[in-house]
Amino acid sequence: MGPRLFLILCFAGLGAAALVAVIAGVWLITSALPDGGTELRDIVIVYGGGIACLLVAVIAVLWGYLDHALAQPLSAVVRGIQTVVYANPEHRIEVGESHELGGLPAAVNDLVRKLSQARNTVEDAVARATQSLEQQKNQLAVILQDLSEGVIVCNLNHNILLYNSRALQLLHIAGDIGLDRSLFTFMTRQPILHCLGRLSSRVAEGRHADHPEGLMASFVGASCDGRYILDSRMSLILDPDGTATGYVLTFDDDTEELAALGLRDRLLREATEGLRAPVANLSAAAEILGANPSMDASQQSQFKHVILSESRFLANRLERLSAHYRDIITGHWPMSDIYSGNLFNHVARRLKEQRNVTIVMTGLPQWLHGDSYTLVELLNRMILKVSDLTGATSFDLEALRGDRHVYVDVAWQGPAIPSAALTAWLADRLDEALGGLSLREVLERHRTDIWSLADGGERARLRLPLPQAKRAAAPAEVHRLPPRPEFYDFELLARRQDTGELGTRPLRAITYVVFDTETTGLEPEGGDEMVAIAGVRIVNGRILTGESFERIVDPRRPIPPASIRFHGITDETVRDKPPIQVVLPQFRAFVGNAVLVAHNAAFDLKFLKLKEAECGVEFSMPVLDTLLLSAFLHDYTGKHGLDVVAGRFGIEVHGRHTALGDALAAAGVFLKMIDVLEARGVSTLDEALAAGNAMVETRAKLAGA
Amino acid sequence: MAKSILVVEDEPNIVLSLQFLMKKAGFEVRVARDGEEALAAVEERAPDLMLLDVMIPKRDGYDVCQTVRANPAWAGIYIIMLTAKGREVDREKGIALGANDYVTKPFSTRDLTEKVKQLLDHPA
Repeated sequence: MGPRLFLILCFAGLGAAALVAVIAGVWLITSALPDGGTELRDIVIVYGGGIACLLVAVIAVLWGYLDHALAQPLSAVVRGIQTVVYANPEHRIEVGESHELGGLPAAVNDLVRKLSQARNTVEDAVARATQSLEQQKNQLAVILQDLSEGVIVCNLNHNILLYNSRALQLLHIAGDIGLDRSLFTFMTRQPILHCLGRLSSRVAEGRHADHPEGLMASFVGASCDGRYILDSRMSLILDPDGTATGYVLTFDDDTEELAALGLRDRLLREATEGLRAPVANLSAAAEILGANPSMDASQQSQFKHVILSESRFLANRLERLSAHYRDIITGHWPMSDIYSGNLFNHVARRLKEQRNVTIVMTGLPQWLHGDSYTLVELLNRMILKVSDLTGATSFDLEALRGDRHVYVDVAWQGPAIPSAALTAWLADRLDEALGGLSLREVLERHRTDIWSLADGGERARLRLPLPQAKRAAAPAEVHRLPPRPEFYDFELLARRQDTGELGTRPLRAITYVVFDTETTGLEPEGGDEMVAIAGVRIVNGRILTGESFERIVDPRRPIPPASIRFHGITDETVRDKPPIQVVLPQFRAFVGNAVLVAHNAAFDLKFLKLKEAECGVEFSMPVLDTLLLSAFLHDYTGKHGLDVVAGRFGIEVHGRHTALGDALAAAGVFLKMIDVLEARGVSTLDEALAAGNAMVETRAKLAGA
Repeated sequence: MAKSILVVEDEPNIVLSLQFLMKKAGFEVRVARDGEEALAAVEERAPDLMLLDVMIPKRDGYDVCQTVRANPAWAGIYIIMLTAKGREVDREKGIALGANDYVTKPFSTRDLTEKVKQLLDHPA
């Protein structure tokens, strides 16, 4: 309803009410008058009529004025604003002189002016930004054109945003790619999705910060028809918030391949021309010897010498050729360092999508060197075939570090796979990508082979040796950090632990949770708090890497730089993370009925114990300390820091001074210790606890002395 | 009685040498030309030692080795694998599948004879 109509209705109502009031008054008075008072009645009627007319007139005039001075200008203001907003930003509101809107029209005009100014500013800014963006894009395009590598930039929907002509050349595309088209029109999908998945999880877990390749990963890409295999790298593009918005693909020029071709040419020449002479000498000598049986002994021995020395020469030459040849066929294949945990995660995820096959990751993760995508395919197919053949649905995946290789072992309940079956499976091809590479070729590229062995207890495994990682060991700085001081607390560790039946069980048959905490400092009772806690489960002598617990905890206090130096967790890291009251009950649930194990356990346990009441949980299970057990086993030395003990047992530590890294290292150490403990006659939980307690007493005495 | 050797090899030229060498060293020699023949020969009469080439027709050397090792009655047969595959990982696979030794071609005839003699005369 417009203001004018509203005003008319109001005033019409007012007029009607006044008329009714006057008529009702006149009627009441006249009906109350005594009969015969006709004169008086006439007076009242006339008077009433007069008042009614006057009232109606006053109301009409009032309406007329308000309509003119308020309602009409108000409508004009509304129309004016509409014009500004929808039609002409430069329009100004026009209202007559005689209105009662006060400063409203002027204020609205001011507003309109400001709005228009702001709009102009924004438009200018946008225009300028667009221009500079266009410039930058052009510069980028020029730079891209000059690159000897193919470059394609995509968003996360895999639409192509930018590319250079080298990319077209390498993909053998005539004409244009066309922006916004899907990358998968030109390149095989799986390797790209796989690589993107690897990078995304690296970023999601914050590992890109200290990963040697940062936001980049190498992979083997291919054109859609599989004819062109490309040595490719992917780099994620992050926005300022750290969220991925797209990626850059670069594929290498062929220099490496050309170099390999050159080498191959030389080898072929050596193999053909270079071998002619010795073969000629050999066959001549053999023919002469055969044709002249009556030759005298000294001459015979000369010819025999020729045969012997030439065949030795040929053997050596062959050895050299085959070594070079192996380098050629495998050297060009792009590979990167892969963390076995990530590789297995991909395998597990794919299998879960395909079929009801469970993967249990066990053992300590290792770094290895290979092409992640083809390895995932290989393992995936092998596991499906084994499952088909043996009916097994649960597989253990473990990476073991050997002298020359990292072994990837797939273990299951059931018989081993006959060598002939394995050989047949390896003829399978990766159909969708990479030019129909066969599984055998994937093995060849990794310079390896695969075989199956029966283990004890009706179990069997597939063993796949893979190259060790090329990356250097962890930065030296971390190793220079001093170990946490040993921590003793009689109340905690040396108390009689009532273990009941569990205490008599063999160490190997017990379920453990090996855990570690990172803290703001070394004084649990002086206000220091946990900032991270992690645990990993050991069941039946296997470390279940897939079932680990890892949480950052908000300590609700500032984190001192002195402790950040160790664990790298800052105030920023813990923001939005749950407090200990949330995390500790989760950890308690994770532990379940397991026995706790930690290195320098009293320290970590103290932090748990101090929070028990507050968090409504209790940690009353038996606790083993790998530091004390180390002191028991290796009493000839006083060095029992985690790094030293891990080194002593040949355990490689990844992610030292992260709660999970340290927990995994302690778990590896603990498993090795069980063997040695058994050899020393310590085979049950009670015996292991007693051995540890004895160490607490001696060491506390030493410390007290 | 002379110890018996089964040479499993499809290349006649090397069979000639192997046969000659082993006979000269005083062993009884039988020859099988492929994997199936080899297993049939073992079935017929278990040899003391097999010189087993990896790349043979029908069932390959790894397969034969694994099959022999799967039968506890044949646990005492020594197996030396002969192959043109010279990588460390191939050697490891051979040993893992139950071979006692692994010899890469080309090899020195004297070394091979030594190895065989050592295994058969002084079993570990």
